[in-house]
Amino acid sequence: MERKWRKISGLIGLLLLNFMNNVSSLSLTITKVECVYEIVRSEGDIVSGNFVVVDHHIFWSSDHPGIDFSITSPGGDILHNLKGTSGDKFSFKAPRSGLYQFCFHNPLSTPETIALYIHIGHIPNEHNLAKNEHVDPINVKIAELREALEAVTTEQKYLKARDAVHRRTNESTKKRVIGYTVGEYILLTIASVLQVVYIRRLFSKSVGYNRI
Amino acid sequence: MSGNAELRRLVMFQAVLLVVLMLALSNAPVGDAIWLNVPPTGTKCVSEEIQSNVVVLSDYVVVSDDHGHVPTISAKVTSPYGNNLHHKENVTHGQFAFTTQEAGNYLACFWTDSHTRGAGEVSVNIEWKTGIAAKDWESVARKEKIEGVELELRKLEGAVEAIHENLLYLRDREAEMRTTSENTNARVAWFSIMSLGICIVVSGSQIWYLKRYFQKKKLI
Repeated sequence: MERKWRKISGLIGLLLLNFMNNVSSLSLTITKVECVYEIVRSEGDIVSGNFVVVDHHIFWSSDHPGIDFSITSPGGDILHNLKGTSGDKFSFKAPRSGLYQFCFHNPLSTPETIALYIHIGHIPNEHNLAKNEHVDPINVKIAELREALEAVTTEQKYLKARDAVHRRTNESTKKRVIGYTVGEYILLTIASVLQVVYIRRLFSKSVGYNRI
Repeated sequence: MSGNAELRRLVMFQAVLLVVLMLALSNAPVGDAIWLNVPPTGTKCVSEEIQSNVVVLSDYVVVSDDHGHVPTISAKVTSPYGNNLHHKENVTHGQFAFTTQEAGNYLACFWTDSHTRGAGEVSVNIEWKTGIAAKDWESVARKEKIEGVELELRKLEGAVEAIHENLLYLRDREAEMRTTSENTNARVAWFSIMSLGICIVVSGSQIWYLKRYFQKKKLI
């Protein structure tokens, strides 16, 4: 009997946990304003995530003012508002269920690419169920464990995106070092050859009689 | 007496199971997804940088407004080398699944069709799962005949393995980047010294040439 109960509650737990796992990771290109929407199924879910601006199409790093980011709840309140960032993490407890809006705004006209990752985590608790059910503590523990692992995964996605940005910067630095140094040598040589040619012309026969 | 209580509890559990099953099934089509607005003109693209040999599973549905007429969209998925993995026109829903052959940026683009244009922005529900999230746990459960808590723990084990793989990948990338950085560092030093050397050589040869020139011209 005990085993049967455990099996049944385990099955319930399995079903409950099955559709409570919500992740999305994508890269978007933003020209002006882009919004991404996610449905939060139950109030009290923890919404966590991060975004990183992957490539700044800029020349000098101080040029770009950054991307504006905001999260709007289904009731219309703005939960999170960041101006001029190149990447950030966010985490909040959903005050109500519904459609949440994650919006990016690009103040400049050059398109930017953003890597976004959103995770909605749910831990089953007593409040959401009907009166005659109760939550098996092992399912709560498993849900907490899963949420902890998802937090690690979220952090890893952030690190991966930052690593990609860093890699781009590094490769750009490598190209710039080689390009600009070789260009510098060539320019130096051309400048000195032009100098010599000019001095030769100053002292050439046709103007030789008007000694400078 | 205890038999009655037992029976009642059993019936209660069955009712709960039924309710939960209904809940689960009613939620099944939505899954974990984000909504995007596809503009009436132009395409909306989402991409992800994926390593090779990773399973990608995706499902997209057009969310119908109150108009009653469901707008249709077209979708196209391309691999980093430009191969077309999925292409569908004039549909309200679709799905695709593939295993990545090459590592790189996979792009999925959506656009509204010409005859539904003018209806404004179309909302699309996109479910995008890669790697461990795309694993078919039901077949694993059936094959290995596990269920309930054991299956959940198996899923957690899968998640831990995925985390470990990701960590190894990050470590390798960091090692590559460190090599590049040290290379660039050495190059900056070398090129600067060479620049100084070239400067000296060029100015030395200038002076030598001009001296020879003036001596030839009998100016010195």
